[in-house]
Amino acid sequence: MLLTGKNAVITGCLKGIGRSTLETIAINGSNVWACALAPDEEFEIFCQDLANENNVWIKPVYFDLSDHEQIKTALKQIASDKQPINILVNIAGMTKDALFHMIPMDQMKLIFEVNFFAQMYITQFITKLMVRQKVGSVVNISSISALDGSYGQLSYSASKAAIIGATKTLSIELADKGVRVNALAPGVIDTDMVKAVPEDIIMKRINQISLKRLGHVDEVSKAVLFLASDLSDYISGQVIRIDGGI
Amino acid sequence: MTNDELYKKVFCDTFLIEESQLTGLAYQGVKSWDSIGHMALVAALEETFDIMMETDDIINMSSFEKGKEILIKNYALEF
Repeated sequence: MLLTGKNAVITGCLKGIGRSTLETIAINGSNVWACALAPDEEFEIFCQDLANENNVWIKPVYFDLSDHEQIKTALKQIASDKQPINILVNIAGMTKDALFHMIPMDQMKLIFEVNFFAQMYITQFITKLMVRQKVGSVVNISSISALDGSYGQLSYSASKAAIIGATKTLSIELADKGVRVNALAPGVIDTDMVKAVPEDIIMKRINQISLKRLGHVDEVSKAVLFLASDLSDYISGQVIRIDGGI
Repeated sequence: MTNDELYKKVFCDTFLIEESQLTGLAYQGVKSWDSIGHMALVAALEETFDIMMETDDIINMSSFEKGKEILIKNYALEF
């Protein structure tokens, strides 16, 4: 187990990459504040079972990333537990695809609010605690669309590119305080978000991938585990593509 | 120690200055109160008074007196 005795905050735990990451991090011995959008009975049971099976605690924390007050309340709840926080994984995000000239500004602002500003607010708060401990690892989930562009995804790719810029600058600012900051750039991963894309478009994308298949959520969460753990002690400010080779 | 004594001690310890220098002391008023020193001050205040300061308060804490005012007004500390 790579994370025994550590404590992690993970956002976007309800499904997809977030849930897989929650599972991977807990299986490796870390306690988790599992952040999700809204209370969900199935999720609560999942967390409880996962915690029992792995002898860790998992505390569901609910808030809407587009609501600053909800985030603040949740973060104060986490801080009130008075536990050191070793790992922060910013996963939660959203997309609303549209061609550039068809994007209402309000929609673009919402995407940035959720995918960037909310993540920064959370990171500001949590890394302040990490700096006090002089240790910590932040893993931000970006996207290959931030690096390569993606047709019809300007808001999403731009917000994810902002995450990369923040990752690099933050890694410099926090390096001497013992906090590492990295990002992952997943490609086409088999999640609900991708399931909503028309099959012909997905097939076209798969043909561009060297490994000729979609990625699995656990292939992303294993990379999160690497960056969150001491295995990546000397890695900071990096963006790792998880795209099957494009 | 009283909160007032603790508050003064945080400033003196963080910026390596004497208590006699505190009155009227403002951001960048001594070499050690630069942006890095400011974050060290925030960390020390948070730890000493068991609070989490809001970003706006961190930005607005521009002097020794202003900091105390913020702690009283926004964090219910008594001096």
